[in-house]
This record gives sequence, C-alpha cells and structure tokens, in this order.
Amino acid sequence: MAQTNFEKQINILDYALSSLWRHRMKSLSILLVFAAVIFLLASFQMVTQALSDKAKQVLAYTPEITLQKMSAGRQEAIPLAYKDKLAGIFGIRRVVPRIWGYYFDEVLLANYTVMGMDVEEMPEGSRLDTALASGKMPTPDEQGRVVIGHSVKKALDLEGRTTFSFFRPDLSLKTFTVSGEFSRSTDILTNDLIVMNLPDARDLYSIPAGKVTDLCVYVANPKEIDTIARKISEALPGVRVLTRPQIQKTYQVVFGWRSGFGSICLLSALAAFVILAWDKASGLSPEERREIAILKVLGWETSDILAVRFWESVIVSGLACMVGMTAAHIHVVYFAASLFRPVLMGWSVLRPDLHLLPRMEAGDILLILAFTVIPYLAATVIPAWRSATVPADSALGG
Amino acid sequence: MRPALVFSLFLCLLLALDGALFVDGLNRRKAEDATLAQLEVATSGLGLTDLAVATEARYTRHPAVSDAVAPFMDHPGAIEHFPTGAFWLPPQR
Repeated sequence: MAQTNFEKQINILDYALSSLWRHRMKSLSILLVFAAVIFLLASFQMVTQALSDKAKQVLAYTPEITLQKMSAGRQEAIPLAYKDKLAGIFGIRRVVPRIWGYYFDEVLLANYTVMGMDVEEMPEGSRLDTALASGKMPTPDEQGRVVIGHSVKKALDLEGRTTFSFFRPDLSLKTFTVSGEFSRSTDILTNDLIVMNLPDARDLYSIPAGKVTDLCVYVANPKEIDTIARKISEALPGVRVLTRPQIQKTYQVVFGWRSGFGSICLLSALAAFVILAWDKASGLSPEERREIAILKVLGWETSDILAVRFWESVIVSGLACMVGMTAAHIHVVYFAASLFRPVLMGWSVLRPDLHLLPRMEAGDILLILAFTVIPYLAATVIPAWRSATVPADSALGG
Repeated sequence: MRPALVFSLFLCLLLALDGALFVDGLNRRKAEDATLAQLEVATSGLGLTDLAVATEARYTRHPAVSDAVAPFMDHPGAIEHFPTGAFWLPPQR
C-alpha cells in the first residue's frame, strides 16, 4: 500500500515537473523573483547576525563601567578629580582616565578615532603588542609616538615614511611618529584607531590639565557592576554611567528589522508576496481551468489535482529558498556583503575589510521560511482547491 | 530519464554545493577563532566599546556610548543625514 502511494506521489511529482517545464518562462521568472526576495531577507539576516555575534564575542572585554560627564545634554570633559570621589566606593579595583575623540581629516574627508591613555594601567595593556602586526606600543615616557590601524596607514599614505602631522585647535601642527601598526585581524575594532599617550592626546585636542574625556572603571567582582554603577550615579549626579552589560545589549538590538534599511528589506519582501498572492488568489487562467477539467474527466480526483499544485508550489518555493539562501551566504561570506556596503558604511572614507561569518541556526532558517515559503504554499493551494472543486463539464464550457 | 530523477540530481547538486560551503565555513570559523585572542587583547587593553564598521558619524562609529539624540546634535536644526544611520537602530537603554 505504502509502495503504491509512493509511486503515485512520484508520478504526480513527474506531472508537476512537466507542468512547470511546459510553462518554463513563467515558472523561471517566479523562481527568480522569489529567490531574489529570499536573498535580500537572508543577506540582511546574515549580516546583522554576524555583526551581533562578533560584538558579543569581543565586547565581553569592554570596561566594566565607563563614565562620561554630561552638561546641557552633551558630553564634555570630565575632571580627573572625580577619581578621588570614587575612592570611597567599595569594590572599585581601578579607575583609568582616557582621552578619546575624533580627528576629521579635511583633505581626505576621513574621520580618525584618537585614543590617548596609559595602556600599562589597562587590563591586558602589557599584552597589547600581541595585537600588533609590526612595531610596539609606545611606553608612557615616549612622546609623539602612535600606533595606528590599517586604514589610517593607507589613508595617510604612510608606506615609505613613519611621520605625519595633525592640526591642533589653534591650527599649529603636532607631529607624530608611527611606532606600530595593528594587526589586520583586529580591523573590525582598530581599523580607524590612532592610539597615543595621554599627554599627546591632551596636547592634540588642547584639553586642559586635570580633565579627560572619560574614565574607565574596573570592579573587583563583575556581579557588583550594577550596584557600583548605582553608587557612582549617586556620588556623581552629572555623570553618565555606562555599564558593560548595557554596551553588550546595545549590539544585540542595534541591528534589527526595525532599522530603516531592515524595514525596507522586509517591506519589499512583503510587497512582492502580496503581489504574488494577489495574482494567485485572483484565480486560475482559463487555460489552467481547462487543464484541471480535462484531468477530472480522465478520472483524476480533487485530491490528486491539489497534490499536483502542492508539489508545484513546493518545488518552486523550496528551490527558490535554497538558491536564495545559498546566494545570500556567498554574498555575505565571499563578497563581504558588497551589496549592503554602500548603506552599511555610507560615506565612511575608512572602511574595514569585513570578514563576516554568519552562523545560521534553525530559528533563522524557520524565520525566512515562515516569511516566504509558507505564504506561497497557502496562496497557491487555496485557488487550486477552488478550481478543482468546479464540475468538469462547466470548466470545459459544456 | 524521468523528470523526478532529473530534479533529484539537480537537488543533489545544490545540496553538494551547500555542503561544500558548510565545510568551508567550518574552516573559516577555525581560522577566525585563532584571531579571537588578538581581538580580546585589543578590546581589554584599549577599553574599546564598539565595532569599527561605519566611521562616517560619531553615533554610528560608537553607538554604544552615544545618545539617541546624537544624530541631531551637530548644529541647530540638524537632521540625521548619514546613510549608515539607516542601518542602525538607536541604542536602547
């Protein structure tokens, strides 16, 4: 019995494939549009998932608490004296001052991120040389020496030389010597970075002595982060307190379907399906009705005709899903999401080489299936059932 | 040859391609894991808070430490005009 049923389904599959082949231009165009929609959705899902994953992995080592002073709703320099106010809070292991800002290169229109700190005070600061491709981190007594990211080296054209100059706010020049370059494998974090000593950063931005841009606070027990953050907020009311869990949470929600670009992907997919479903639901063509009528006259049952339509839909949507998702994987992994780069990086002059490696889970695949294959199955089988229940003689015009 | 057989062969070809991509993905994952130690050192040694993906605007370079209103702070009447702003949701805290 099972053997007979299997053979019957294979025969029906043969018929469905022949039917699709007979209308090959129509079937191929539906398949391609369908695959393109799935490609768009899957690419977006893969890019955002790969970036969130990377953020989750590396931002687990971000400072436990970061303090920034706010004034009139904007960030401003924080007095170093605040360090003393934190001394009374039990559980704080270390407070490291840092000057952290941007330098806009008006010639290249590039934005560099400048960080000035005493790296020896930072956790793992003594091991930072292992993250460099060449050279070494400047020691606190080495003035005017910097470590740069790959894109900074490229933008400043530092192939044959090691010195470059930036303007201070009063337009006098400050010269730096490159003492090292970050490894390419850290590009996703250090691509646009220029790291220097605290006095050099203070000099570059003309920040008065006794002030920095933020304070990195390290606590003895990570379970106490929230408690210590609350105590800091009470002790220093005008200070914004950012905790490590908050920073990690940001990256779990910052890439999402509700972002403008995500919404466009989703809405275009939905629009494509509405058009497809409307086309299908508006009824079968007279030719298709005639075909169904002939099959019924030949002895096919309604359930057999439904099975043919079901197989046709499964073949088209399943194949489109496979082709679309495979193409999306190739696009994201081997072409570094090149179609999304104009939006993902916008007018950025310094662009990291993205090495995205999406980790597709069953949930992600189900999400894409739920948005694509299932509505298509529903949209095709229902009109086929309506048509299959029509008496054969009326469909043939008899 | 039966159409179902031709279709099955085509399906096998697609699955083989997917299998090859999966194996290559595993190898890439191993290579990526090897560089993770460097990323960890860079993050904790410099106290980094963000990924360097979009460098055009402050709030997309460092979304984790920016305000939700940062895009509108550039000058009076400023609107959010950077393309990357379309890809990122404002941080929620």
